[in-house]
Amino acid sequence: MFGRKKAKEAAGSGGAVAVGLGEMLQEITKRYKRKQAIHFENVTYTYQELDENANRVAGGLEALGVRQGDRVAMMLPNIPEFAFTFFGIQKLGGVAVPFNTMYKGREISFILKDSGAKAIVCLSNFANLINEIRDECPDLKEVIVTGQRTLVFVDPDATVNVQLVVEKTNFESADSVFHTVGGVLVDTFQAAGVKDAWYKHMGAVRAHGKKLATILVSEIENLYVVNVVGFLKTMDADPLFRVLWVPPEIKDKAVEPSTSVEEESGTTVTLDAFKDLLVEQFTKKLGVTFDAGELTRDEQLAYEKNRALAGRI
Amino acid sequence: MADGRTWRLIYNPEGDTTDVVAYGAAVAEGRIAGKYQLSNTSVPDTLIVQRSTVRGIIAGADVRIDRDLATREGIQLAKAARQGRNSARAVGTIQLSEVMAKGSRAYDAKPVQPEDPAVILYTSGTTGNPKGVTLTNENFLFQRNTIVPSIMEFTESDRTVGVLPLYHVYGLSNGLIPTINAGAGFVMVAQYSPQNLLSAIADTKATIMPAIPSMYQHLLTIARARKTTMPKSLRMCVSGGAPLPLSVLREFMEVFDTQIVEGYGLTETASCVSANGRGGVFKEGSIGPVAAGVEMTIFDDDDQELPIGEVGEIVIRSSTVTPGYWNDSAATTEAINADGWFHTGDLGYRDDDGFFFITDRKKDLIIRGGFNISPREVEEVIMLHSAIQDAAVVAAPDKHDQEMVVAYVVLKEGESLTARDVMDHCVANMAPYKRPKNVVFVDTLPKSATGKVLRTELRGEATDRRLVERSE
Repeated sequence: MFGRKKAKEAAGSGGAVAVGLGEMLQEITKRYKRKQAIHFENVTYTYQELDENANRVAGGLEALGVRQGDRVAMMLPNIPEFAFTFFGIQKLGGVAVPFNTMYKGREISFILKDSGAKAIVCLSNFANLINEIRDECPDLKEVIVTGQRTLVFVDPDATVNVQLVVEKTNFESADSVFHTVGGVLVDTFQAAGVKDAWYKHMGAVRAHGKKLATILVSEIENLYVVNVVGFLKTMDADPLFRVLWVPPEIKDKAVEPSTSVEEESGTTVTLDAFKDLLVEQFTKKLGVTFDAGELTRDEQLAYEKNRALAGRI
Repeated sequence: MADGRTWRLIYNPEGDTTDVVAYGAAVAEGRIAGKYQLSNTSVPDTLIVQRSTVRGIIAGADVRIDRDLATREGIQLAKAARQGRNSARAVGTIQLSEVMAKGSRAYDAKPVQPEDPAVILYTSGTTGNPKGVTLTNENFLFQRNTIVPSIMEFTESDRTVGVLPLYHVYGLSNGLIPTINAGAGFVMVAQYSPQNLLSAIADTKATIMPAIPSMYQHLLTIARARKTTMPKSLRMCVSGGAPLPLSVLREFMEVFDTQIVEGYGLTETASCVSANGRGGVFKEGSIGPVAAGVEMTIFDDDDQELPIGEVGEIVIRSSTVTPGYWNDSAATTEAINADGWFHTGDLGYRDDDGFFFITDRKKDLIIRGGFNISPREVEEVIMLHSAIQDAAVVAAPDKHDQEMVVAYVVLKEGESLTARDVMDHCVANMAPYKRPKNVVFVDTLPKSATGKVLRTELRGEATDRRLVERSE
C-alpha cells in the first residue's frame, strides 16, 4: 500500500502534489483562476468557472446520495459537461465510469450492472435508452441528463403524433403511465395488423426488433404529458438528416432500425382509422369515454403563443 | 383512477410541425393554470392525435440545423419545449442543471488515497463481455507527473486540441488531464471531422494535438487538396492507437511545421508507457523506448525474460499499471503476475538501443480506431439471431492500416438471410465500430479437434477476399 506521502514522492515531485484529480484541479485553480481552461465552440470557461462547476456537480451528487467510492457512469461526448462531471465526481471521491457514447442497450446494461453505478450522467437523447434497461440495473438510482437535444421527425405520409395531457390522479405512478400507454399502443398496432407488436417497459414499441413507436413520459406540476411518435408508413429520414448537424452516436440511435404498419402488415392504415383504433383501445384499457373537442379560448391564446415560440428557431 | 371519466379528444389531421409542439403545450398550460384557479374541471384530460402535412423536425435548443438548407428542402423546423427545472421533465430523470443547483460554488475536494479507484474504463478483451479496468489515483498521478513530462512538455501557455473521445484512456490521460495539470487550455471538439479539427486548430492556435493516425492522414488530404497554408501553431503532436506510416509522419511534420511522437499504451497502463520520436530520435516501426518510471521487457510463455532481439510477449511494470480488473480477479491474476508484471498480449522484441517493436498480437483481439473489439462479444450478438446457427468474427485489413470486422455466418437448416439482415440485427445491438463490414455465409466454420474456431484460417480467407475486391 502506498501512503499519500509516498505516492507524491513516487510521482517525482518534492513539492505539494495533489494525489486525487479533484485536488489537482483545486490546486491548479488557485494559481490560474482567470485563465481559460476549456474552449468549446464559442464559449470558454476559466479555471475558476471549471472548478466551481465541478464543485456544484460534487455537491449536487452528494445531495442525491452519492458517496465517496460510489461509481458514477458517464455517457457524454466531448462537451464542457464532461469536464464538470468528471472533476465533480473526483472531488467527491467517487469513481467515474465514462464509456463509449455509441454503446447500445446490451452493452450499457452490462457496464452499469458490473460497475454497480449509482448514477449515470448522459445526454438527454439517451434517457429513453437508459430507462429501457433500468430494471436490469438495480444499483442505478439516478439518471441525470444534460442538454436540450430533443429530435423528432414528422412526415405527412409516415408519422402520427399522439399526446396525452392528463391529471396525475388518473394513474398510480409514472410507471403505470408507461405500462398503460405501452399496452394501448401494442393493442392499437396489433388491431392495425401488426401482429408482432410488443412493448418493453419504458422503452419503444417494436415489431421484429424494429421501432414502431416511441414513448416519452414527462411530468410537470399536476400533469403527466405523454408524447408518442408512431410510424404508419416507412419514412425516408435522409433528407431530414441532411440539414442536421448530428453527432454519430445520436444519429445512430435516431436511426435505430424502424418499421411501420405498412411494412409489417402489408396494408396501409389511414390516420382516421388509426385514431379510431387508438381511442377504442384507450376506452377498453382505462374505461374512459371520449368527447371530440377543440381548444378552449384560453388554450387558443396559449396555442398561439406556443406556436410563435416553436417557430422561433 | 381514470375509470368512468370523460376525456377530450382533439384531432388535428391537417396540422404542421409547430402544431405538434403548440397543441400539447397549450393544453398543459391550461391545465396548470386551472390548478391554481381551482377550476380545472373546465379543462378535461386530453388526448391529441395529430399529423403534420409538411415534413419537419422538432428540435431542442442544442440541436444544430442548417436553416437555409431546411428551407430549400421544404423542411419545417420547430423548437421543442425546454425540459428542465421549471418545465416538463422526462419522468425518471433529473437535469444536470438541477443537480448542480443542489450544490454550491464552493466544495473542498475530499482527500483520497493513492490506491483508491478514480476511474473504471471498460475495454473489450478476448472474453464475451468487456472488462472494467480500475485506474487509481496513483495511476493518474504517476502518468501525469512522471510519464507525460518525460515524453512531451505541457506548459501553461499551451492549448491542447481535445478531438479524441474523453471516455477513452488516450483522450483522458494524454489530453484532458495533463492539460489541466499544467494550467493550459483544452479545446473540445465534440464531433470529429477533418474540417472541424482543422478549424479548431486554426481558430484557437492550438499548440498540442494528441490524435490517431487516420486524423493525421485526413488533415494531410485537406492540405494537399487546398494547397493553402496550413496552421503552424502546433508545437507537438502525439499519435497513438495504431501505427503511423512514416511517410505520413514526415509529410505532416513538414506541412504543419511540427513534431510528432508516436506513443504506445493501453487502458491497463492509464495510457502512454513508451514513445518513438522523442528528441527527434525515430526508428521506423518501433513503439520507442520506455517513458520515465516504466519497466518494459519481453517474456516467454513461462514469464522468463528473453534476450535482445527475441520475440515474446511485451510486459510492463510501473506505478501507472492498473491494480486489476473490476469484479474480475481471475482476469487480474491472468494479466498481472505475482511480481507485478502486466502482460500486454502484444508480441514483440527490443533492439540494442532499447527500442521496442510489435510483431503480432497474442490475443484474438480486433482493434479499430484505437478501440478494442472482442470477436467473441460480436459473435454472441450475431448468434442471438434466431436464424443463425454459428458465427465467427475475424479482423481483415481495411483502409489506412485499420482493421475491419468480418463475420462468417452459418445459418440454421432451412433458414435464409441476406448480409443486410445480419447487419440490421447488429445495428440494433452494438456500437457501430464493432459491427461487421463484411458478412460471409459459409456451410461450416473451420474448427479444431476441441471445437475451437480456427480464426487463423478465417483470417487468411478474409485477407485474401479483400485483395480480390481491391483489384476489381
